[in-house]
Amino acid sequence: MPYPVFKDNREFIKALEANNDLVTIQQEVDWDLEMGAIVRRVCEKKSASPYFKKIKDYPGFEAFGAPLATYKRLAIAMGMKPDAFVPEISNEYVKRTTGDPIKSILLDKKKAPCKENIWTGKDADLFKLPGPMVHDGDGGRYLATWHFVVSKDLETQAVNWGMYRQMVFDEKTMVGPVLPFSDMGKMFYGKYVPKNKPMPFATVIGCDPLAGVAACAPSPIPEDEFTGMLMGAPVELVKCETCDLEVPAHAEIIIEGEVIPNLLIEEAPFGEYTGYRTSPREPRTVYRIKAITFRNNPILTVSNMGVPTDEGQLLRSFSLGLEMRKLLESQGIPITGVFMLPESTHHMVVVGVKPIYSNIASQIANLVFGSKLSPWFHMVIVVDEETNIYNKDDVIHALATKCHPIRGIRKYEQSVGTPLYPFADPEDRKWSRGAQVLFDCTFPLHWSKSDLPIKVSFNNVYPKEIQEKVLQNWKNYGFKD
Amino acid sequence: MARKEYDTFVLTDLALIPEDKEMELIVRDLTPADRRYKYRSTFAMAMVSKSESKYPDLLWVRLGRGQLQEKPWSIKIIKEVNKFS
Ligand SMILES: Cc1cc2nc3c(=O)[nH]c(=O)nc-3n(C[C@H](O)[C@H](O)[C@H](O)COP(=O)(O)O)c2cc1C
Repeated sequence: MPYPVFKDNREFIKALEANNDLVTIQQEVDWDLEMGAIVRRVCEKKSASPYFKKIKDYPGFEAFGAPLATYKRLAIAMGMKPDAFVPEISNEYVKRTTGDPIKSILLDKKKAPCKENIWTGKDADLFKLPGPMVHDGDGGRYLATWHFVVSKDLETQAVNWGMYRQMVFDEKTMVGPVLPFSDMGKMFYGKYVPKNKPMPFATVIGCDPLAGVAACAPSPIPEDEFTGMLMGAPVELVKCETCDLEVPAHAEIIIEGEVIPNLLIEEAPFGEYTGYRTSPREPRTVYRIKAITFRNNPILTVSNMGVPTDEGQLLRSFSLGLEMRKLLESQGIPITGVFMLPESTHHMVVVGVKPIYSNIASQIANLVFGSKLSPWFHMVIVVDEETNIYNKDDVIHALATKCHPIRGIRKYEQSVGTPLYPFADPEDRKWSRGAQVLFDCTFPLHWSKSDLPIKVSFNNVYPKEIQEKVLQNWKNYGFKD
Repeated sequence: MARKEYDTFVLTDLALIPEDKEMELIVRDLTPADRRYKYRSTFAMAMVSKSESKYPDLLWVRLGRGQLQEKPWSIKIIKEVNKFS
């Protein structure tokens, strides 16, 4: 049964408008920094998504900024009520993505809106698309900031959709980091490069919102089928023009080409999800393009990475946390929930647990730090069921009071990291080396009951009848809140 | 005619950049005739000088994290280098 979700970005934009979560900008906006600055301010103020109708130098093109930078927009994208709480959205996501994968279906090219315009040869020129200069000081214009790259495994033919940023170098060339431990990194650097074979790719820009969620989720399920699970219906795909890949038929813009083996070109710097420009300008993966296909009046999606909260931080926190939840539950660990704080730029995850045996926090940390998810975060906070994992004040209180500064902190050295960690030494960034830490905020089990500190809160230290009486009389006492 | 302007990212100590010697570097075009091509990058054989007036075109310098240096240098582009043939 399909959920009430959107087959493309245009339907999603209309839904945001209906929910007062869209600002349609009729005035001309410059792709050179102005558009980026607007989207940045939107992220920092948690404002409505901007829908740019008129882009300087690019008549006929439109852009849509910060498409999923709030939980409200995520709830709308999932077809839920806009004010759904994070735990509700989380449970729905886990429910939808735990069943059987839903295979995609192939549409005839004539029925695919993304084939309304086709540019090949000299016409396939990246500067004919309104790639924004997102932040002042970036290494180039980033066409692909909220998008995904489709590729196929040389040996298994498994298809990967992943969000890997792409900077325009010249008319035919894009460059970007493909981290060695990512699915596309393993595919390209592990299989195509040793055989010196170019790898066909298709960049999908302006996909439906849930395909974007799937492309940046670290799930082992093929992303097109994962999108189908989130939608409750098969994704409609269409064949590419120049290679044997398939792309979502309702996407706005498709860029087709080949990833070139044994050639690297400098990419970056770029304002990144950590809120800094950290990873170095260095030789990175090269994409040469062959064709561009797009809908009439195509709408480019623009995300602006920086200080919280942008959709990268929000959705990666969301899906990393929930894939961790699935992992821990699959191992029978008695967790009560997992929440990754978007404000931590998905560096810090809070795991709630019933501490029924000793060193359970270490077991949790060992599992999540040992998983495929681990390069992207380095702080695990384990709290007992007394702490509300979704409440930052509660988590800070637990961290500052229950975590022993020596016994409660366990360090993990020589981990896989990313070049994006601002705290890492430049040499460690270069080699994607990291380090991680556990903050165990559970009290040891061997403490006697009478030595156990008791949390002094309204809910915890008053009899039920007193609590009820106070709550019933609150307004009568004269309080307005 | 107004001078053309480019910029480049310098990843080493600025003092290590050789002046008045042919070298290959990546430059971005900041003043193309068609504005849609602004920031187009190219590999170029060129000579640079830290003096703003020595060569025909201006070269703005950025450090590895995008920090723009206050004073531009000058550049003479000898030819574009094609890495893709
Ligand atoms: C906006 C955005 C940009 C990203 N850019 C990159 C990138 O350039 N390179 C990279 O390796 N990962 C990047 N990521 C992370 C990957 O999208 C993420 O790891 C995703 O799960 C890819 O999955 P896979 O490699 O597990 O298939 C980005 C994520 C987001 C949200």
